[in-house]
Amino acid sequence: MPEAPLLQVRDLTVSFATRQGALRAVDGLSFDVGQKEIVGIVGESGSGKSVAIYSMLGLVREKNATITGSVLFEGREILGLSDKELQPIRGGSIGMIFQDPMTALTPVYTVGWQLVEQIRQHLHLPKAAARQRAIELLGQVGIPDPKSRVDRYPHEFSGGMRQRVVIAMALSCNPRLLIADEPTTALDVTTQAQILDLMLKLQDTYDSSIVIITHDMGVIAEMAHRVVVMYAGRPVEIARELDLVRHPRHPYTWGLLDAVPRLDAKHDRLRTIRGNAVSPLNLPPGCAFAPRCDYVMDQCAQRPPLQGDADHVDACWLSDAQRVTIRQRVEQPS
Amino acid sequence: MSDDVVLQATDVVKTFSSRGKKLGTRVVSRAVNGVSLEVRRGETLGIVGESGCGKSTLARCLVQLSPVTSGTVAFEGTTLTGLSRRRLRPFRRQFQLVFQDPYASLNPRRTVGDIVAEPMRINHLGSTSAIDARVRELFSTVGLDAAAVNRYPHEFSGGQRQRIGIARSLSLNPTLVIADEPVSALDVSIQAQVLNLMADLQQEFNLTYVFIAHDLGVVRHVSDRVGVMYLGEFVEFGDVGSIYETPLHPYTEALLSVVPELNDTDAPRRERIIITGDVPDPADRPSGCPFHPRCPVATDLCRVEKPALLTIVPGRQVACHYPRNLDAVKATSTTS
Repeated sequence: MPEAPLLQVRDLTVSFATRQGALRAVDGLSFDVGQKEIVGIVGESGSGKSVAIYSMLGLVREKNATITGSVLFEGREILGLSDKELQPIRGGSIGMIFQDPMTALTPVYTVGWQLVEQIRQHLHLPKAAARQRAIELLGQVGIPDPKSRVDRYPHEFSGGMRQRVVIAMALSCNPRLLIADEPTTALDVTTQAQILDLMLKLQDTYDSSIVIITHDMGVIAEMAHRVVVMYAGRPVEIARELDLVRHPRHPYTWGLLDAVPRLDAKHDRLRTIRGNAVSPLNLPPGCAFAPRCDYVMDQCAQRPPLQGDADHVDACWLSDAQRVTIRQRVEQPS
Repeated sequence: MSDDVVLQATDVVKTFSSRGKKLGTRVVSRAVNGVSLEVRRGETLGIVGESGCGKSTLARCLVQLSPVTSGTVAFEGTTLTGLSRRRLRPFRRQFQLVFQDPYASLNPRRTVGDIVAEPMRINHLGSTSAIDARVRELFSTVGLDAAAVNRYPHEFSGGQRQRIGIARSLSLNPTLVIADEPVSALDVSIQAQVLNLMADLQQEFNLTYVFIAHDLGVVRHVSDRVGVMYLGEFVEFGDVGSIYETPLHPYTEALLSVVPELNDTDAPRRERIIITGDVPDPADRPSGCPFHPRCPVATDLCRVEKPALLTIVPGRQVACHYPRNLDAVKATSTTS
């Protein structure tokens, strides 16, 4: 019997009441994050990947939002907790890394002040000890000369250095789970490599689990153990990373993987997914991907359930035999 | 100079001066520091580099949107730098820009039909009805519904807006299109659509492209030749396939090694070279080679003497005292 997962998300649904009707930003999302596991959530803009995470932490505060389902963290239901109850969790046992390191830090205080505030809040250390811990953390995330940098303001750091500060902050209270929302999207590729490398190293040191949200399949392949592919608020495929990139099953995942221009080969044309992302306000009645899918059938008017074996599930009506023929046909010409 | 060169830049320098830290002082940033290039008719020249390397500034200098500090830019043999605005005007029709942000580059208060028609109106290209017909034709060329001309930019998605920007750039039948990060704001599935569209248009209208991007996969896909920029200079230049297979400059090598790849085949992946530190401030350039403070193979020579951009084999140039993969590059050059 494996140990219980650190995070268990069941049937998470987030909908917003709008004048045009209910907008389902997240629709029946379920996944687990094991101890020391890195789970990647991948999807394009509007797929609901950020809203899903924010709703778990009580950060979706819009009055017209309805959140249902269950989110168990260390066995305890955290969905619907009050701000006061969530306080020790947010920034304490769950650390957050946001996309834009400039907006995640306040420009009017030194980075040291911001780190010390958080450390004192969660670990109840005296001021001097908290400052010592802040300097230690800045050193750990690779900021040169942390003793003097601790008294600098965010604008005095480069983008990559700022993201390091944000990571230091997320780690400051030894979180069990780190949630990173597009942590490297705003960064250059050499800086991205530094940050991803750092995250992997620290994950090893701290034994924490990570949920990484990204639109970049490459980042997923580099980081994640398991992947959740989202489309229009719904999970369409969940699998181990290597299974997903080598044996993708859902037509949307095929499209996502095939559309990436590659470094190792030059093709005359990129394979594309036709059309534009669907509006979550008027989703088709069945499979949300059907209007853009090249293999749509009559059955697709009904919503396909997530099914498969324990390690690899997807939501599509295509039979195994059909998928094999389609993939063989697609892969042949290249 | 052979006549198939559309655009030629020679030793282009662009500096910006800004207030220094001390009161009354000025600091000068060399955003583009002596760039020379030739764009050949019908090709796609890719320019790749990280943020702040000067690639967008270079684009603006090439199309005379910002005056160069020194150096020359010539279009089909005519020197553009130094021409008055009036004398420049007839040339401007022949090179057009496609911008990065499809949200910021379209006026939200005008219909998309107006936006595409404007360059033709300014240049008095035909009657109102002729322009209208041309706008509709352009819309279908870029894969948009011609009935959408009376709608406003906010009614379109990012990918559709970028198609509108492309339609506008084509409205004057340009020879050269300079695209500055045209797909970096788009989702990957939409990005692929726009890249395919740009390839189709290039064939159909015999266009020459300068394609600026930070995404190495995208640049590989679209380009015939590639220039790699670092701190306002080309550090490497060459044919796309050979650069990606056997990079000469340590910076190019490191860049290529850290692009996250899908390990969907059993081919061994490149060894990752993670370069440390950040890009230096262009106002405070390092001595010698601009890359030496971050270079894994730098020596004392690199700190003192700046390497020139030299041709190693035909079609491959590099500015480095210690080029990588030298034997492989020379071997493939002699066999082919």
